[in-house]
Amino acid sequence: MSQTKLRLTDLNVIVSGQGGDGSLTVINILADVLRTSGLRIYTERDVLSRIKGGITAATLRAYDGERLCIGSHIDLLVAFDLLAVNKHAYRLNDRSVVIYDNSGGELSEDCGVPAGARRIGVPLSRHAVKNFRRDIYKNSISFAVIGRLLGLDDEQMHHSFEKRFARRGAQQLKYNLAALDVGLKLSEEAGLTADAGLYDIVSSDAHPSMQITGNEAVAFGFLVGGGRFFAGYPITPSTDVMEWLDKWLPKYGGVVRQAEDELSAINMAIGAALTGTRTMIATCGPGLSLMQEGIGQLGMGEIPLVVVDAQRGGPSTGMPTKPEQSDINLLVYGGHGDFPRAVLAPGNPQECFELTVAACNIADKYQLPVFMALDQGLSQNLASIDPVALDDVVIDRGKRLDADALAEADVYKRYAFEDDGVSAFAAPGTPGGMSLVTGNEHDEFGLVSTDPTNRVRMLDKRQRKMITMRDDLPRAVHHGIDTADIGFIGVGMCYGVILEAMDILTGQGVHTQYHQMRTLFPMLEETAAFTRRCKSVYVVEYNATAQLAKLIIAQGGDESRINSFLKYDGTPMSADEIVAHVLNAEGIKEVDVA
Amino acid sequence: MTKTFTPARPIWCAGCGDFGVLQALVNALDELNVPAHKRMVIAGIGCSGSLQNNLSCYGYHALHGRVMPTATGAKLANPELTVIGVGGDGDGYAIGGGHLMHSFKRNPGVTYIVMNNGTYGLTKGQPSPTSPNGYGLNIEEDLDPIMLGLSIPGSTFLARAYSGNPAQLLELTTAALQHTAAGHGMSYLEVLSPCVTYNDTYREWRSSVYDCDTEAGYDPTNRAAAFVRMSELREEGRLPLGLIFRGERAALENAALNHDFTAPALQDVAHLPLADTYGDALQSFMR
Repeated sequence: MSQTKLRLTDLNVIVSGQGGDGSLTVINILADVLRTSGLRIYTERDVLSRIKGGITAATLRAYDGERLCIGSHIDLLVAFDLLAVNKHAYRLNDRSVVIYDNSGGELSEDCGVPAGARRIGVPLSRHAVKNFRRDIYKNSISFAVIGRLLGLDDEQMHHSFEKRFARRGAQQLKYNLAALDVGLKLSEEAGLTADAGLYDIVSSDAHPSMQITGNEAVAFGFLVGGGRFFAGYPITPSTDVMEWLDKWLPKYGGVVRQAEDELSAINMAIGAALTGTRTMIATCGPGLSLMQEGIGQLGMGEIPLVVVDAQRGGPSTGMPTKPEQSDINLLVYGGHGDFPRAVLAPGNPQECFELTVAACNIADKYQLPVFMALDQGLSQNLASIDPVALDDVVIDRGKRLDADALAEADVYKRYAFEDDGVSAFAAPGTPGGMSLVTGNEHDEFGLVSTDPTNRVRMLDKRQRKMITMRDDLPRAVHHGIDTADIGFIGVGMCYGVILEAMDILTGQGVHTQYHQMRTLFPMLEETAAFTRRCKSVYVVEYNATAQLAKLIIAQGGDESRINSFLKYDGTPMSADEIVAHVLNAEGIKEVDVA
Repeated sequence: MTKTFTPARPIWCAGCGDFGVLQALVNALDELNVPAHKRMVIAGIGCSGSLQNNLSCYGYHALHGRVMPTATGAKLANPELTVIGVGGDGDGYAIGGGHLMHSFKRNPGVTYIVMNNGTYGLTKGQPSPTSPNGYGLNIEEDLDPIMLGLSIPGSTFLARAYSGNPAQLLELTTAALQHTAAGHGMSYLEVLSPCVTYNDTYREWRSSVYDCDTEAGYDPTNRAAAFVRMSELREEGRLPLGLIFRGERAALENAALNHDFTAPALQDVAHLPLADTYGDALQSFMR
């Protein structure tokens, strides 16, 4: 075949099977190869709350540029199990290809694969067992079929295996390379010859990029931002924050402790924060519910702490491995009593890094809890991003008094009334700064007080921070055409999907703009203003009760222009869903641009 | 000198056992020359949880039951501080009971003084975990935290004092602070501290306390023998006092901290050359 091959610019691949089938390994190797050809990679894992078994999947998008979501259609489905075909068939179209293991039989009539899709059945499992007596080698066999289909050359494939398996030992490498060769032979038999690939994929010296998840970016931002104490309790999908810090924080003289429960975790963190150490905790819904008493303590005691919430399907235990943005109410309103706080919402790993640094600064400067609202998608999906600029990081520890400053002061009051609501902090151990920190209402020295005049002054002092911190809160990022009638609002994992939906709509001749808010609370006036600037504003969120839209309305957003797009079934949001919703609501007929 | 808060007068009822604990703590700290600015007193909720207001220190009024997790975090962040946890039996054994066993297991460099009065005084006399079966409407057996401590292999200092015996209380408070200051980790001191209003046990405890410190042949380094002796004394209706157990083990902060660096709280993180300092971590993402 000598036809001109296509340059690969956008490819969506799902590899799926039973948990433990090695789907993620296939995706990771493929990501590695495609990255060397200059494409940016985004990967998503669909796992269940069990160690082995159940239908799991790993999804990859390779894109010529930044794209932080999986495409609306899957170009290639690799299925180790026929049930996996049924599960993902709805995401295929007539141009899709399905590579499936036919060791146990062929695809049934009702498997759901579109009629036009190409089907390639290969007895992967049978050959794995026959050649290696181990079923697990089917994933390495499948890689050869994928590579031949896409147009990777055999040498590229061998090289990628050497890179991946070398660290697992010579034996592992040998068997996996042998499995790859078995796969290449099976490909030939299936008509996938070395020159039959769909795309022209050439390795190049790609622009260096970071491969990082939102959780990792938060952890890294905390380290660079001067964080030195972290306490946590394992809970999906936030645990990677603790795991990354466990590896790196001690190298910089920091401490990571795994506590016996979330109550202990937040209180250990409070203990560390009281000493003037930059401190963070990470959890998700159930853990955050348990921590609520501690959150109020931070507000009343004026203790700085960064609290990361990797939101997952709720309520209660909910769907631990599935994304949701249904803790917004808890983040904004959680805890009893009135106290100030800030809630920040990054949309991509870059912002996870930058906003965590900002959160540390705001927490220290205003002595209150600062939340980082993530979600399972943003927390755990792996993206290629431009390297973060370390030297751009600015650290501001706020008003602190050392021994010299205290020696010059006539009196030190931990909760001195100040116009900006912030009283200077003297770290325990500093001579002359002895003070009382308490969750009881207190006077300026921290002594318990229920005096009504003091109560009102003290509560008002704390609440004033909600105003004075505004200048330090991250502003929204604007995308699209600022005169467009149609606007979008959405945070976290919705960021990448909204940007893709905007591209599709532009292709349909529909112009849009996107107000990517990065501070949920206290909400900045810019957000309410945006709702008044557009004819209709689509608030895209991953929950059932429009928590974000209601928050915007409560903060002055124009309810009459707000239209909610809600999803809460646990599957990834796709741009097509948003596009269809908008076109339908706007009464615009979809144009077939294919 | 900078004026800081003036320690408040205790809010306790006249005759409360907690007065003795406060006095012993102040005297022991002075005796050991721990300056006010190095003291961090973390108190629980309840009558005893106001003790930090009554001496010069960095004081913190913790959430109910969370004295030990808070104290552990503070000690790890700044091990140069003398961190002292104080609270009652409801705080430490009921709502915070789960943390007690993990604290024994962890062995952080914290002195933890529990003022045990066998009741919830501040809420007017409900039974606590150490109230005997038959106290009010209580139908549960009482908890013996010293025996709990003995059953956890990580514990290193378990002692019980009685506020009606101030000499031994001072001696044990001093010994507890010294154990922790020497890097051996957590020192746990339970003080029988009667509530004169809701559970006045002075007379009863005066006759039932038993001093292990003066018992010939009592070996506080023998965990198994100590457990047997505690069981026997309990059967006899006695309340054992003294240094019940002392073990050898390094404090949590010894293993948890990277000693190539100054402690987390004392690092100047705001003035580091960022690209040089964190280049390795950044490189780990360049895959």
